[in-house]
Amino acid sequence: MRLPRLFRTNVFRLTLAYMALFALSVGALSAFIYWATLGYLDTQTNAIIEAEINGLYEQFERRSIRGLGAVIEERVARDTEGRSYYLLTDSIGRPLAGNVTAWPIGVGDARGQWVDFVQSDSDTPVRAMLLPIGPGFQLLVGRDIRELTAIRQLLRRASFYGITLTLALALLGGVALALSAERRLAEINRTTRQIMAGDLSRRAPLKGSDDEHDELAQHINAMLDQIESLLEGMRHVGDSVAHDLRGPITRLRNRLETVAAAEHPSRDDLGDCVAQLDQVLATFNALLRIARVESGAYRSAFTTVDLKPIVRDVCELYQAAAEERQVALSAQAHESVEVYGDRELLAQVLTNLVDNAVKYTPPGGAVRIELARSGDRARLSVADSGPGIPAEDRSRVLQRFARLDRARSQPGNGLGLALVNAVTLQHHGRLTLGDNAPGLVVTVELPALTLPLPRAAPPSAAPP
Amino acid sequence: MRILVIEDDKDVASFIRNGLVQAGCNVDHAANGRDGLFLATTEGYDALVVDRMLPGIDGLTVIRTLRASSNTTPVLILSALGEVDDRVKGLKAGGDDYLVKPFAFSELLARLEALARRAKSAVEAPATVLRAADLELDLLRREVRRAGKPIDLQPREFQLLEFLLRHAGQVVTRTMLLEGVWDYHFDPQTNVIDVHISRLRSKIDKGFDRPLLHTVRGAGYRLDG
Repeated sequence: MRLPRLFRTNVFRLTLAYMALFALSVGALSAFIYWATLGYLDTQTNAIIEAEINGLYEQFERRSIRGLGAVIEERVARDTEGRSYYLLTDSIGRPLAGNVTAWPIGVGDARGQWVDFVQSDSDTPVRAMLLPIGPGFQLLVGRDIRELTAIRQLLRRASFYGITLTLALALLGGVALALSAERRLAEINRTTRQIMAGDLSRRAPLKGSDDEHDELAQHINAMLDQIESLLEGMRHVGDSVAHDLRGPITRLRNRLETVAAAEHPSRDDLGDCVAQLDQVLATFNALLRIARVESGAYRSAFTTVDLKPIVRDVCELYQAAAEERQVALSAQAHESVEVYGDRELLAQVLTNLVDNAVKYTPPGGAVRIELARSGDRARLSVADSGPGIPAEDRSRVLQRFARLDRARSQPGNGLGLALVNAVTLQHHGRLTLGDNAPGLVVTVELPALTLPLPRAAPPSAAPP
Repeated sequence: MRILVIEDDKDVASFIRNGLVQAGCNVDHAANGRDGLFLATTEGYDALVVDRMLPGIDGLTVIRTLRASSNTTPVLILSALGEVDDRVKGLKAGGDDYLVKPFAFSELLARLEALARRAKSAVEAPATVLRAADLELDLLRREVRRAGKPIDLQPREFQLLEFLLRHAGQVVTRTMLLEGVWDYHFDPQTNVIDVHISRLRSKIDKGFDRPLLHTVRGAGYRLDG
């Protein structure tokens, strides 16, 4: 059987536990008061009875049994409130004196011990002691303990009501607390259920109280925002992949169909098909690489990298291609600038930038790579004299598959700058696109590692 | 060449096997690490093609075990993970070369031939002069001559020619050149390598009857031996 929802909540269980603890301490306190009070009253009553026994024993020793009987009768007569009880019997149990008419039940054997009994005619509780006295006589001295009994009952009732009240209040508080917590969480749960059902635009409501529930709701909302934007990005990539790859794949399919239908398929045709497929695969690989970079998979392999040899290598790698297009490619990197990163990725960043620059710069133009340190930043820039990118398009070209209209005639998959951007971000850097008037200047700023301190002049020997 | 292919993917395995058989190789295939290790230790191969992810014993363990028992057969690692740290891990485990799926068969063949030949030439004394037909490259004096005529090369062109000469008679792919000469492991986007090759070609082939440096369509380049 399942408990009602409320009783399964954590708050309710916690409250129950506290309630038990609280009831336990109230119980312990009551018990202490009970034993202490009753113990004190008991001792007092017993002391009074003992004093009376001592007095009567003295009388017996002085005036023998008859005298004792007279004293008892006298005391009974004097005790108008009827609080003391006496009984003196002879050897065969006949009462000689006193106000107890018959032996109370159960007292017979308890010589020299405290006994409680109820006086049958007046229904009074009595505390008494039975002592043998003289040859065969027995003396019973007792005292009314109505008050003691009343106090005992009073204390018991007080403890019972105290504990009951504590439990009831705690239960009430627990239910109230659980209800309020449950209500807040229920709102968040409702939101998450709706989201799981497919409505990702839902957000957990905020109460504005800035408490832990609001904080939880805020975190969940922030998480949802991020998931939504990631999903949006995925959808965009998916659409772009579909759009950008459908073309080449469809062409390839038609081509293959033609080849398959031909009586003598030519080797060249098949080679072209493979080349087209390679292009598709290259696009996939580039996407995969960007995804890997964005996931931070490379960071574990980061190490100290000097950008200067990379600038030299890439410039040299593209020199021949640039000259062929009659573009003057030059590099200016006077000093070593070290950053913390991945050499391959950084080289690919520069390769992509130089590749773009050389590709879009018309013959007779110039592409210039510059590496410099400015403060604690490494500045790597590639400037060209091509058509540039209008300011309003600059943020768009950093996205995957973004290609300006005039770039569509050039080979490329629209992923180059997206990779540059992803790598720069993973290196905690900043990518800016600016105007080279005319042309584009792309600047990658990365946190530079601190320079080794310039060697100080050797301290001159202090004169003795 | 006698080649052992350790690969669990049936399609990839038969793709490699058919290609290698067509290229005149003698091919054995093992579908898991245990069988592969057994074959590699009991038979003599010119080269191994080992997939990184294998059922049972994984590819890197196979290579480590072979190297621990001083088996020096060259190993080409195949991997679906085209990442730098994976490459480093593979080479550290004792692999000699690393190829990322999907790959062109010509790339695989070129790399396998290079590996098998490197293993053979390692036994011989290191050459200080590399030759192909009437072309010679002196590593110590940093000089290149063809038919006795000195040819002036830039340092990078010299490295490029050295790499081609060391693989004379074999197909060398663009990525092999970028790795071997520039030490970068990504795909260059445009034809940068082609331009370097055509410059080198104009220096070593221009004015001679017989061209030495050929373009192999869809694969790469070959320097005639």
